[in-house]
Amino acid sequence: MLRFIIKRVLQAIPLLFFISLILFFLMMNMGDPIAAMAGRNVTRSSDRARLTRQLGLDQPIYMQYIYWLIGNDWKKIDIDGDGIGDSYGTREGILRGDFGTSIVNRGRPVTEVIAQRLPNTLILMVASEVVIIVGALGIGVYSALRQYSWVDHAITAVSFVGYSMPIFFIALLSMYLFGVLFKRWGLPYLPTVGMFDPEEGKTVGQVLLHMILPVLSISLISFAAYSRYIRSTMLEVLGQDYIRTAKAKGLPKRQIVFIHALKNASLPIVTVIGLDLPLLLGGAIVTERIFAWPGMGRLFLDHVSRADTPVVMGILMLIAVAVVVFQILTDIVYAWLDPRIRFEK
Amino acid sequence: MQGKKSLFQYISFIILVSLLLTACQGGGAGGGDKVLTLIWTQEFDSLNPLYTNMWFTTVTHQVWLSWAWEFDQANNAFPKLVTELPSMENGGISEDGMVITMHLRDDLEWSDGEKLTADDFIFTWEMAINPANSVASTYPYDRISSIEAPDDTTVVINFIEPFAPWLATLWHGILPAHILKPVFEAEGTIDNAPWNLAPTVGCGPYVLDTWESGSFARFVRNDNWWGEEPKIDEVFFRFVPDDASQVAALQAGDGDVGTFIAYSDVPTLQDAGITIVTEPSGYNEGMFFVINEELGHPALLDVKVRQAIAMGIDRVSMNEDLLLGLTQVPASFWDALAYYNDPPLENYPYDPAAAAALLDEAGWVDSNGNGVRDKDGVELELTYGTTIREIRQNAQAVIQQQLAEIGIAIEILSYDADIYFSSYGDGPAASGELDIMEWSDGPIFPDADVYYWLCDEIPSDDYPDGTNWFFLCDPELDELVLAQSTQVDAAARQQSISRINQIFHDQVYWLGLWQDPDVWAVSSRVQNYKFSVVTPLYNIVEWDLIEASE
Repeated sequence: MLRFIIKRVLQAIPLLFFISLILFFLMMNMGDPIAAMAGRNVTRSSDRARLTRQLGLDQPIYMQYIYWLIGNDWKKIDIDGDGIGDSYGTREGILRGDFGTSIVNRGRPVTEVIAQRLPNTLILMVASEVVIIVGALGIGVYSALRQYSWVDHAITAVSFVGYSMPIFFIALLSMYLFGVLFKRWGLPYLPTVGMFDPEEGKTVGQVLLHMILPVLSISLISFAAYSRYIRSTMLEVLGQDYIRTAKAKGLPKRQIVFIHALKNASLPIVTVIGLDLPLLLGGAIVTERIFAWPGMGRLFLDHVSRADTPVVMGILMLIAVAVVVFQILTDIVYAWLDPRIRFEK
Repeated sequence: MQGKKSLFQYISFIILVSLLLTACQGGGAGGGDKVLTLIWTQEFDSLNPLYTNMWFTTVTHQVWLSWAWEFDQANNAFPKLVTELPSMENGGISEDGMVITMHLRDDLEWSDGEKLTADDFIFTWEMAINPANSVASTYPYDRISSIEAPDDTTVVINFIEPFAPWLATLWHGILPAHILKPVFEAEGTIDNAPWNLAPTVGCGPYVLDTWESGSFARFVRNDNWWGEEPKIDEVFFRFVPDDASQVAALQAGDGDVGTFIAYSDVPTLQDAGITIVTEPSGYNEGMFFVINEELGHPALLDVKVRQAIAMGIDRVSMNEDLLLGLTQVPASFWDALAYYNDPPLENYPYDPAAAAALLDEAGWVDSNGNGVRDKDGVELELTYGTTIREIRQNAQAVIQQQLAEIGIAIEILSYDADIYFSSYGDGPAASGELDIMEWSDGPIFPDADVYYWLCDEIPSDDYPDGTNWFFLCDPELDELVLAQSTQVDAAARQQSISRINQIFHDQVYWLGLWQDPDVWAVSSRVQNYKFSVVTPLYNIVEWDLIEASE
């Protein structure tokens, strides 16, 4: 097992290198950070020239990538614009753990920017994922056990309605219904935006209350895909000989479904969840924006729109690493669920 | 089964720990305090005034970082940190306009109890122009040659040359030298100073308590505030990036004040009992023409064609229909500054027949019967690009239709704002790739200064940073634009800018579409509010909340 993990990690290193290279070059062509700093007037020419030099944007893209990767503390930087290097740079590069500082929030380390948002995204996305998995398991298993019943048809119809609606529509609709209209009608209502009411303070109860609508929106659109997937794999497993044998032996139905059938039906589902989990770190861009949830999705959107390369690269590399790690974890869980799979030759 | 149980326990643990982590980060008022919630659609970038040009940041200064002077509802300056506004009459401005002397109040204190003195002004200037600091703009501090402080409350500013727009541009936020000087001495720059992002020391009626990235910024009362006691306990800026969410939050009472309200949302908010306040901002939405022999369409070199475009667009109806009558057609780039519109300019009327006649006169006729005018084998087809903002796209569609009626074909192009405004070589606007461009712009309101149209600001491969994205060089205009920026004699400056205004109007170098006022939405529980344009929250100490006191 250890050998397998080491092998996979070693394989991941060149992969991450190429990912970083491609992302960096794409990012450098996605906007102008100095134009984004201008406010409501166009940036003055003297300021543009100075900032371009000070932020290192006057260097060729490959050089900027090298600085991002290994730092610039080995090279003298021109501070006063006279074309002569004045003092050594201060960046150490990501290979030495320095992800740089944000261009938008000048001076704030990228790691700090991300660390501030990650817990917010985790509580939203993990809660949503739990709701999705638990809900989809219930719906999927129930539908499989009652295939072609009217309940199965009804669940199928409702889940596809949810699946076919864009998330911004569900989010705004739920916000207006449960936040605006319920209040207008004198019914108990839910908060529309943010993580807490400033007059109440940031308590666990307030955060939970403010999570309801975003979690509901994220979950609604995901129920359909997951539950249909679970339904089809359960149907396949329920038709296997060993299930018939278990029934013939007189095992209780609950034990047959949840112990014998569901465990085997879970194998492909684990793959899907394994692929989804690292993406949770990226947050839900649309949902976080609409509900003003201060997570990673919004961080990405805010900083990509202002061409803040260090922060965007930090987020993208975090997700890339997470994908690799979760893939390895998925393989390990696979072996746990299915003893036929082994990593040794 | 045991494994699954453990998995759920683990997930529950993660959620609980994350909840506790976020909840422990603080940020609650509690206790029935009066908390004013302002909804900001963009988050601050940096709270150091030297490191930002962002409207959403600078307008917070009146809450926590008073300016030397601020501006009231009529956009007249009034003294804040100074005892009186410098003028020639009180000896504050020298006769040649080269020296300005300011006298500070003697009771000024930072929120930590330190005295605010002339040294803080000198330090602010030094930091702005020091090449080790990557400040957002060195302007206007780069116009100062030296500053002296004969005593703690006197600041003597010596300019390189007379500097006319000093009142509108100088001292938008002072740095606390006692906090930042040690950082500068240790690091050689203040780029990474913690104060930039967590300025817990300020000189306004409130002081920053918490700024939580992406979520909110909370300002609480400043115990060392030397001015009138504020009525509200806390000012809470909530960052809500989505326009529709902002409207819902205002309707639901999850915010007291919103801004940059889309015109189409105004009736919805008014129906919900929310007051809409519009303040002329000095900005106007307008069409900029690329007028250059090498770039842009050759037809735009002829003033008659530009005048025909002005008369071919029904701008009055556009304001009434698209902007719900909340705005008017600006008569000039300086529309909000009546002092510089002397004599007052009149808008070109909507007159398609006269527009067609002008085009005929200019030699642009439809010789091949394809519905589009042409001349010397060149079709009158113009590219017209702007950003993806909804109102702009609607306006583009209307303009395309109306100009088609007089034989001008328009190709509509739309871009993300960051792409559109990218630098020469990257962005379509800066590179002269379009014939007509559109955005909202204005002078350095409430001053009339402009700098875009200077001949030596035309971008090129050798000078990619140029700001003259219209590639227009008019020697008379160039001379006037340069002259007005150094004219400290009000009457002479008025003459210069009025002449610039007249040239713009006659030559149609720019065509105003609608005034672009600041639009505020205010809930009925907010009382005593007034907004100015430059310092919108200038009377924040007088604001009150009625529900909280009941």
